[in-house]
Amino acid sequence: MTALSQWLGRPSARALRRLAAAASLLGAALTGPALAQDGRRVSVTGEIADSWCTISGLMFAKGTAHHQCAVWCALGGIPVAIRDAEGALYLILRIGDDTDSAANPRIARIATHEVTVNGELLERDGVKHLLVDQIADDKGVINLTHDEHGIQPFGN
Amino acid sequence: MFCAAAGFAQAAEPWGIPHEKPLVLKGRVVDALCHLKGVCAPDCGAGKRQLGILEANGRFRLVGKGQVDFAGAAPDLAGFCGREVEADGLLIENPAITLFFAQGVREAGSTAPFTPTERFKTQWEARNGAAPEWWRADPESNAIIAETGPLGIKGLLPKPKP
Repeated sequence: MTALSQWLGRPSARALRRLAAAASLLGAALTGPALAQDGRRVSVTGEIADSWCTISGLMFAKGTAHHQCAVWCALGGIPVAIRDAEGALYLILRIGDDTDSAANPRIARIATHEVTVNGELLERDGVKHLLVDQIADDKGVINLTHDEHGIQPFGN
Repeated sequence: MFCAAAGFAQAAEPWGIPHEKPLVLKGRVVDALCHLKGVCAPDCGAGKRQLGILEANGRFRLVGKGQVDFAGAAPDLAGFCGREVEADGLLIENPAITLFFAQGVREAGSTAPFTPTERFKTQWEARNGAAPEWWRADPESNAIIAETGPLGIKGLLPKPKP
């Protein structure tokens, strides 16, 4: 018998479910959603890009030259984004029902792909957060940059 | 709330990144998806979700990078889920996206030194063993690259070096 059940006597399954729900609400109160908002529906086209390498300027971070690095960074948990033709970054917070946005192998597998996605955009404090409902098109890796830039950042 | 360096033993190392600003960020650790949309998970996703710091003024700062090469800071922040922290690092307000590069973190109000944001490596080594470069030894990474090649297109290989 656990300390919890000792404290409760012989709790019913219903009572335990209520307790779990209360604990969940308490957790949500501490961690958000203080400002949960509705975004706007968008369709975004661009390259699945590593946000850190893109803005750090430490290397060339586009296309085939950066594919391997983008896989590493995605698996390392660096935020993955879609970079559109204007250079805007749309940070991916979920794809469909998959809410793992850090170190998700499913996202790493589409690193550097040119995609079109549909979803919900939430802009907040300098970040375009994207909740992807559907990957409408995936052309794979089409931006051939390795002849000019080699393999980033180490050359192998 | 942004805090000036004085009084917080701020020691963030500048990297010369465009738009970077060394500072100590103070606020509550939150899961981005939970905070923005109300889709929450236990322990802020336990390192599997992007996390940020919610300042007292309501500003949300996404923490996108930690001290380990090619790795983020979610494992460092997840243990502080829902708690107030101080994070020493670089705020990068790039027009494309604003990210915070956390170099160290500690409980709010603590006078202890900042703990370097290196938990990704600790956790990775616990799963895979020590390696000088985790990224080249990572089984998942190697599986993906073996499948598609380093350029992401099966069969396409870089030109041999002259």
